[in-house]
Amino acid sequence: MFQAAETVSRTLAEPLDESGLIRAAQNGDQDAFERLVREYDQSVLRIAVNILRSPDEARDVYQEAFLKVYRNLNSFRFDCSFHTWLYRIVTNICLDHLRRRKVRKEESTAVETPDGVVDRIAQVKEEGAHSDPERQTWNRELSGGIAKALAALTPRERTVFELRHYEGLRLRAIGDMIGTTEEAAKNCLFRATQKMRMSLETFV
Amino acid sequence: MNCAEATQEIPNYCYGEVSSEIEEAVESHVAVCENCRTELARHRKFLELLEERDSVSDAGLLVQCRNDLSRSIRQEAAVNAGRSRSWRGWQRAMEQLRGLSQVHIPFRVPVGAMALVALGFIAARYTPEKFGGVRAALAEPMFSSVRSVEPNASGQVQIAVDETRRHMVSGTLQDPQIQELLVSGVTDGSNPNVRLQSIQVLHQASSANSADSDAVRQALLGALEHDSVASVRLKALDGLKQFSGDVSVRVALANVLQKDQDAAVRAKAIELLAVHTDGSLVGVLQNVVQKEENPYVRAQIAQVLAQLKASVGTY
Repeated sequence: MFQAAETVSRTLAEPLDESGLIRAAQNGDQDAFERLVREYDQSVLRIAVNILRSPDEARDVYQEAFLKVYRNLNSFRFDCSFHTWLYRIVTNICLDHLRRRKVRKEESTAVETPDGVVDRIAQVKEEGAHSDPERQTWNRELSGGIAKALAALTPRERTVFELRHYEGLRLRAIGDMIGTTEEAAKNCLFRATQKMRMSLETFV
Repeated sequence: MNCAEATQEIPNYCYGEVSSEIEEAVESHVAVCENCRTELARHRKFLELLEERDSVSDAGLLVQCRNDLSRSIRQEAAVNAGRSRSWRGWQRAMEQLRGLSQVHIPFRVPVGAMALVALGFIAARYTPEKFGGVRAALAEPMFSSVRSVEPNASGQVQIAVDETRRHMVSGTLQDPQIQELLVSGVTDGSNPNVRLQSIQVLHQASSANSADSDAVRQALLGALEHDSVASVRLKALDGLKQFSGDVSVRVALANVLQKDQDAAVRAKAIELLAVHTDGSLVGVLQNVVQKEENPYVRAQIAQVLAQLKASVGTY
C-alpha cells in the first residue's frame, strides 16, 4: 500500500487537494488513501499517545481509527470537514479505551511508587533533560502529580482537557468531536481544570 | 462582576473561551481587585506548570503504526475478496440443490424432505425476522444439537433442534422490548461494559422521556447500590441526576456517601444531593464530613455546607 520513500516525499510536496483525494480514495485509489493517512496520521498518533499516555494503546487507536476510515470512507458525505470526521473517530476510540481502562481500574503508564504515582513516559523523557538533581526531583514529582491528576479525571473530562489544553483545539470543535455542545464541553473543561488545579495546588 | 463570579470565569478566560462581555468584565474586575489579580496570576502559573509534561514523540512508533495499517488493509482486502468467493460458492450450492430435486432416484422423497430442512435452516440463518416491532437478525448459531428425528409416512421428517444463538436486536428507545433488554443489560453480571453502555442509553432514553422512568430509576438504583465496578456506579449516578429530588434516590445517595469505597462516587453523590436542599441534608453531610478521608470530597462537603450556611461540625 505505501510507496517508496522518494515517491512519498515527492507526492507529499505537491499541494493537497483534500476533496479530490477523498473522492479518489472513495473510488478505491489506494495512493489517495495513503496520502490522506499521511496528512493526518502524525497528529492522530500524538493525540492518542497524549490522551492515553500509552504507546501500545495509541498504536491500537491508530489502527482502529484508520481502518474505520478505510471501511467507512464511502459514507463520508462532506457534511463536515474530513479533519473533524477523523478526529471524531479518534476521540471516540480514545474515550472507549479510557472507559475500558476505568473499568479495569488500571492506568497504563501511571504507576505507584514509594514516592507516589509516577508517569512512566514523563519520567523517561524527563530524566536526561535536566542536570540539576533538585530540579530533577521537582520535575519528577510534578510529572507524577500531573499524571495522577489526569488519571483522576473522568474519560470525557480527560479527553476535553487534553484536546483544549495540550492540542489547543477550540471548545466548539471539541464539542463537535465528542458529540456534545460547546457549552457542555466548556463545563467539562471547567470541571477538569478545577480538579487538576486542586490536585496540583502544592506546586502552584 | 464580583469576586466569586470572576473566580468562576478565570479558568475559561485563560483559555480564551469566554464571550467578549465576560472577558471585559473579568479584566475590569481584576484591574481593581488585588485578590482576583493574584488568583489570575496563580491560575496562569498553574497552566504553565502543566507544560512541564513532555509530549511523547516516537518516530519508531509512527513507522510501526504505518506498517501495521498497511498489513491490516492488505488482510482486509483479502478477506473481502474471500467473501465474494463465498457468495459465488453459495450460489453454486443453491443451483446444485435445485438440480437435485429434479433427479429421479428411488429415495427421492426423503432427499426432498432433507432439502426442505436444509433450506429452512439456511433461511433461518440468513433471513431477518421481526417480532413485536423489534427487528432482529439471526447471527451464526453458537450451539445446536438435534434432540429428536421423526419421519412420517408422507415422507416429511420432523426434527427438533435445540439452539443457543445470538440475536442482533435493534429498535428505537421508545420500544418497550428494547427498554426491557436495556434494563436486563444493567444487571449483566459478566460484562461491566454492557452495564455501562446499558445505563448510558437508558439515561438518554429517560432524559428524552421515551422510557418508563420508574423502571429506569429502579435499574439505576440497583446498579448504584450493588455494582462492584466504580465506573458503572458513577454512570448510574449520572442517570439518577434527573431523579435527585426523589426520596428513595436521596436515601440511596446518603447511603453511598457513608458506605461507597470510591471517592469519585462519593463526590458525585454529594453533587446530586446538593441539587435539592431539605432538612435532613445538613445532618447527613455534617455526619459524613467528620469521617470522610478524602480531602477533595471533604472540601466538597464543606463547600455544600457553607452554601447551606451550616457549620462543618455538629457540636
